[in-house]
Amino acid sequence: MLNKTLSTAVAGVCICVAGAFLLQRHRLEGQLLRADAATVPTKPALMSYAWRRGRSIFASHCAACHGTDGQGDSTRGIPDLRDGDWLYGTGAISDIEQVVNYGIRSYHRKAWNLAIMPAYGTAHPSARDSKIPPLSPGNIRDLVAFLRYQQGRDSVHGEVTDSAAIARGAALFAGAGGCYDCHGPDGKGDPAIGAPDLTDQITLYGDGSPEALTQSISYGRAGVCPAWITRLGPAGVREVAVYVYSLSHGAPR
Amino acid sequence: MKEPETLSSNAGSNRRSFVFLGSGAAIGLVLAGYALFTARGTSTLIVPPEDVALVNQQPISRSDYVQQLQTLFGVDLQHATADQRRKVLDDMIREELFVQRGKELDVASTDPDVRGAMVGAVELEIAADAISAQPSEQQLEDYFAAHRDHYASEGVMTVRDLIFDPADSATAARAAAALKSAAPTPLLLAQWHARSSTAVGDEEFYFAAKIHLGERLFDVAKGLADATPSTPITAADGIHVLYMVGNHRPVPFDFAAARDRVMNDYRNDSIGHLRAGDEAFLRKRANVLIADDLH
Repeated sequence: MLNKTLSTAVAGVCICVAGAFLLQRHRLEGQLLRADAATVPTKPALMSYAWRRGRSIFASHCAACHGTDGQGDSTRGIPDLRDGDWLYGTGAISDIEQVVNYGIRSYHRKAWNLAIMPAYGTAHPSARDSKIPPLSPGNIRDLVAFLRYQQGRDSVHGEVTDSAAIARGAALFAGAGGCYDCHGPDGKGDPAIGAPDLTDQITLYGDGSPEALTQSISYGRAGVCPAWITRLGPAGVREVAVYVYSLSHGAPR
Repeated sequence: MKEPETLSSNAGSNRRSFVFLGSGAAIGLVLAGYALFTARGTSTLIVPPEDVALVNQQPISRSDYVQQLQTLFGVDLQHATADQRRKVLDDMIREELFVQRGKELDVASTDPDVRGAMVGAVELEIAADAISAQPSEQQLEDYFAAHRDHYASEGVMTVRDLIFDPADSATAARAAAALKSAAPTPLLLAQWHARSSTAVGDEEFYFAAKIHLGERLFDVAKGLADATPSTPITAADGIHVLYMVGNHRPVPFDFAAARDRVMNDYRNDSIGHLRAGDEAFLRKRANVLIADDLH
């Protein structure tokens, strides 16, 4: 009799705990979705919930390209998600969410797809804009010299190694090469279109060597991230966005 | 003495059964009710948390709403005023109502812009599916192996194009022989009464040299080794002798260097196959009747 009463009580408690767990999860998911994305990090319970679930989604959907720790792979143009350097937007959760939802050059109508690095070492550098002219090998060498100088890579004890090439490269950057159009007159890029900052030492493709820069300028770049909106759903997208945000801002305690 | 105990035990057991039955039914009803009113696509009373409104059961997504706020007013949800929020929501509801009305009116059957947009949207949808499928490294390497000749650096050449009088083939032949041991100088050109074409002379990619020299001369030039002349080539504008200053032929890329382009080409091919497959499927299931006079 006592055993039966005990087992009934245990079963009842289990049902109650499971019910409470499901209700709490539903409540947190609702709160997470309704919250302004920017405020999620200021709410520890919400942040912790989203982070745990986001980590699992990241492992199953994103890690194949971005790496298990989000470290990326510069040989494949996959960004390091830990460095706080954002190609698209400012790194706010809502910006990350936008990328996860619609992707980059994913063929989704709302994807980021305004900018594609032309292939200046080919007969037709841009499929979209026939007015973009090819550059000569010498032009590309001068541009590489200018970019490496801007990034502080090409100077020996403060002495510039080839000032004439740098000057020619600067003129090309601001003129006939048309680089300023996307990367800005100061070369600092434009996160509104995903044009990278060319003045820092963070390179999406390669190690910033002359060979890697020549490859990028000559043959162009157009990395892709799929649109996840239909596969992860709104909650999954927000959770993984929170997790990605935490990679450069620290995990919740 | 045993009988009353058994009776009491049976009564307790019956009570427990009823309690379990009742609890099960209650839990079932709660779950069914919850699912009925909250499941995607069946919600009738509650706006799901991922949406900001339901217009005739069609959701207006919260992320679209936030994006629209950002686009229109440059503010996030936290900093938007009540007026800004209302304006964006009103606009989105209006758009949804008009889209729904458009469906009722079947505007796609009459408006070429809507038809074009729908065709484009379906094509994009197919392409997006292809993009979502991440190929394995092995698939990419196999693709690379099958299309290896597509992946090479662009050749680079610096070539001089010397043009001689069309009637003076002897001088052109003499010059071609002399250029085997000496580079062309202004003095030599003056002696030979030849001119150097200004279209080429600088270091340039093969594709540019091909445009500047023309196909016939380019075919000769790309076969020349460094510091060697061609034989005289007769053309409409004179006799040409090419002198190759430097010729860097295209170098095949290895997989690592070509991976980026292989990935793009692989995806483009996948998109092409998927589109062709979808179109074939649509045609197969469609009932298309064509007028007799067009057969």
